Amino acid sequence: MDSSNLSSIRMGTGDLAKYPFLNEAGEYLRESGFGWEELERPDMKDVIDRAAERVEVEVSGNIYDKLDRYEIEILTFLVSLIMVKSIGMESVLRKFTLAEARRAEKFLTEDLKRQNEMQKRSLFAKIFDDLFKLKIEISEDGRLLKVKVPDYLARSSHFHEQEWKLINRLVHNGYVYLDVDETVRLVRNELSVLIYEKIRMMTLPTLPQAIKVKADDLRSKLAPRYEYRVTAVTEYPPCVKHALEVMGRGENLPHSARVMLATYMLAIRKPVDQIVMMYENAPDFNEKITRYQVEHLAGMKGSRTKYSVPSCDKLRNENLCFAIAECNGIINPIQFGRKRK
Amino acid sequence: MTQSALAKTISAVRSAFRGYYFKPNMIETPDMIEQREFGYMQFAQVGMVRHLSFNSMKELTATIIKEAPADIYCSNAYYRFPTYPMQEKQWLGADLIFDIDGKDLHLPCVSSHSYFVCANCGRASASAPDEKKGYPCQLCSGKELDSVSIPCANCIDGSKKEVKHLIEFLTGDLGMKQGAIQVYFSGNNGFHVHISDGAYARLDPQARSDLVGYISGAGLMAESVGVRKRNAENLFLIKFPKSGLAYGWRARVADKLKIKSSSIIKLKHIVEQRGGYTPFKVDVDRMARDMGVRIDPQVTTDVHRVFRMPGTLNSKSGLVKMKCGDLDSFDPLVEACLLGDNKVSVRVKTSVKLKLKNKSFNISKESAELPAYAAVYLICKRLAEAN
Repeated sequence: MDSSNLSSIRMGTGDLAKYPFLNEAGEYLRESGFGWEELERPDMKDVIDRAAERVEVEVSGNIYDKLDRYEIEILTFLVSLIMVKSIGMESVLRKFTLAEARRAEKFLTEDLKRQNEMQKRSLFAKIFDDLFKLKIEISEDGRLLKVKVPDYLARSSHFHEQEWKLINRLVHNGYVYLDVDETVRLVRNELSVLIYEKIRMMTLPTLPQAIKVKADDLRSKLAPRYEYRVTAVTEYPPCVKHALEVMGRGENLPHSARVMLATYMLAIRKPVDQIVMMYENAPDFNEKITRYQVEHLAGMKGSRTKYSVPSCDKLRNENLCFAIAECNGIINPIQFGRKRK
Repeated sequence: MTQSALAKTISAVRSAFRGYYFKPNMIETPDMIEQREFGYMQFAQVGMVRHLSFNSMKELTATIIKEAPADIYCSNAYYRFPTYPMQEKQWLGADLIFDIDGKDLHLPCVSSHSYFVCANCGRASASAPDEKKGYPCQLCSGKELDSVSIPCANCIDGSKKEVKHLIEFLTGDLGMKQGAIQVYFSGNNGFHVHISDGAYARLDPQARSDLVGYISGAGLMAESVGVRKRNAENLFLIKFPKSGLAYGWRARVADKLKIKSSSIIKLKHIVEQRGGYTPFKVDVDRMARDMGVRIDPQVTTDVHRVFRMPGTLNSKSGLVKMKCGDLDSFDPLVEACLLGDNKVSVRVKTSVKLKLKNKSFNISKESAELPAYAAVYLICKRLAEAN
C-alpha cells in the first residue's frame, strides 16, 4: 500500500488524543458538532480544569500524559492552546510548545516500538510525511528505520552533539539508518514549531468566562516566574556586580566572565550599544571586536545561536560566583531579585 | 614590468580571450539562468563586478564579448532577485558543488615544476627562495614570493584519483545517480564537481558542512565503531552500535582494523594494543582523515558563491573550465587548451618546460615566438610578458 492510501486511513480517537495537532483532530471536533459555545456549558468544567493543568504542568517543563478519556483530551488540547494564546507571554508559549512536542515524541516512540508494520507505516504517513515532508522507510531487515541523507542533514545539522554528525551514522546508498528514538527526535523541533504556529495564527473570539478566569489565574501565577520584569531589575546579582567592578577598575576580566556579563545584560534587554560600552575600560578594548562578540552572543551574528546566561553551577566551577544570601534558591543569575517572596 | 609592457601583455591575453568567446556555443547554459547571479573579473583590476543577472545566453554572451573578462562566474545559488544586495536577493536554493584543487594534495612532484614569482616586481625564478637571507627577491628585495606551478601529468592524475574517490562516496554512501554528477576540469589545476539533485539544493551551510565532514572523514567517533569511553581515564568498553558496522565509514574503519560486529574480543585487544581509549580515538580520527576526500570545505559550504562558469577561460592559465566526458582519458592540457595558435612574441622570465596540445616547449631563450595558447598560458602563470 503506498503512502497516499495510508494517509487516508482514519485515526481512532486514541491516536487523535495522542497527536491532537493533526488536522484530523479538528475535523473530528467539527464532525461531532462541537462549537465555541459548548465551552460555556457547565459540564465543560472538567475540560477547562484539565487544560489549565496541562498548561501549568508543561510550562514547568514536564509532560502532561493523561490519556484516560480520549475525547476529553482532544478538547483539552484545544482549550490549552486558547489559554496559552490568551496568557500572551512568549516564554510561556515556547515552554508549552516544546513540552507538547516532547509529549507527542513520547507517544510516537511508544507507538512505533509497539505497533505492527502496517500501523507504523500509517503513522509515518500521517505525521512524518504529511506534516513534515519527511519520508520514513523501514530497513531491509525490518530492525531499523531509514531516511534519505538530505532529509536527515536538514534536521540533524542543528543538533550539537557529535553523535548526530553524519559521519557517526550508518549511511548506505543514500539513506541514514536510525532507531525509533532517533527518528522521532529528528522531528522534535518541527513538532514544536507546528504547535507554536498553530497558537500564533489563532484569532481568539470573546472567551467563555470560565476559560478567561482560568487563563487570568494562570497568567498571574506564571508572570512572576516567566516574565522578565526589566524595570524590576534594580540590582545586579553579585557575580555581575563583581564583573562590572573589575571592568571599572580597568583590570583584565577572564573571557568566561565577559561572556557572563554580556549574556546577562542581553537577557535583561540592555541595548547592545550600552553593553559594548561596559567593556570600555578593559585593557584590550576594541569597540568593533566587542560589538561583534556581543552581537554574536545575542544571536545576531555568526552561528545565529542566542547564548543564554551561564548557570550558577557553571560560574561556581569557574570561580566567578560571589554568592550572597539573596542568591539562595536561584540556579541562574538571571533569577536574582525575581524569585517570588 | 613597465606600464607599456603591462598594457601590451593585457591586450594580447584579452584579445586571445575575446577570440575564444567569439566562437559559438562555448559556454554552457546554466539551469534557471534568470535566477542566477553572475559576476566577472577584469584584467588588471581589483574587485569583482557582481550581482548581475541575464535572462538569456544571448545577453550574457554579448556582455562577455564586449568586456572580454579575465574570469566569469555564475552563482551556484538561485535567487528570486539575483541583482539585489545579498540580504535582499531571497535565496531559493543552491547546487551542491565540490572543488578538488591539485595544490591541496601536496604531491611530491610539485617542487620539480614550481616557480617563484615576486609579488612586487614580477621577477620569476625556478629556484626556491633562500629564507635565511631574509630578502627572497634578488631584484627588488620584495619579501613576498608567490609559488606558481605548471601541473604535470602526475598532478592531473592525482586530482583525478581524488575525483574518483569523491564519486565513490557520492554514488555509494550517498546513493547519487551517476547522471546527477558532472565533473569539470577547473581550468587550472583541479576539478569541480557539480551535483544536480534537487534534494540537496535546499540544504543550508550547516547541513553542507556536516556533509563535508562526512566526505573528508572529519569527526568520526571511536563510539561509532563500538569503542566507548568509561568514566575513568583511558578505560573503555566495547559496545557495537545497534545499526552495525556493515556500511559507510564504519565499514571502512572496520575493514582497516579487520573486525566485524561480532569481533568484541578482537576489538578489545586492538584498543588495548593502542594504549586505551584516548590513543585509539586519535588513531580512528587519523585513519578517517587519511581515507577521506580532500575537498575544499569552503566551496561546498558556501551557498552564495559565484563559481567559475563551465566553458569559460581561467585567467590563471588560459585553459577552459570544461566538462570531462571520460575522466580517465581526459587530458586537460590538450582538450581544455582551446585558444588559437597564431604566433605571439613573448619575453620569457625564466627557462621553462611545458607541454600543451601534445606539443612540448622547452624555452630557455628570453625571447620567443609561441602559439597564442602557449604564450597566454605562460603569461597567465606570470612567467612571461608580451614583447
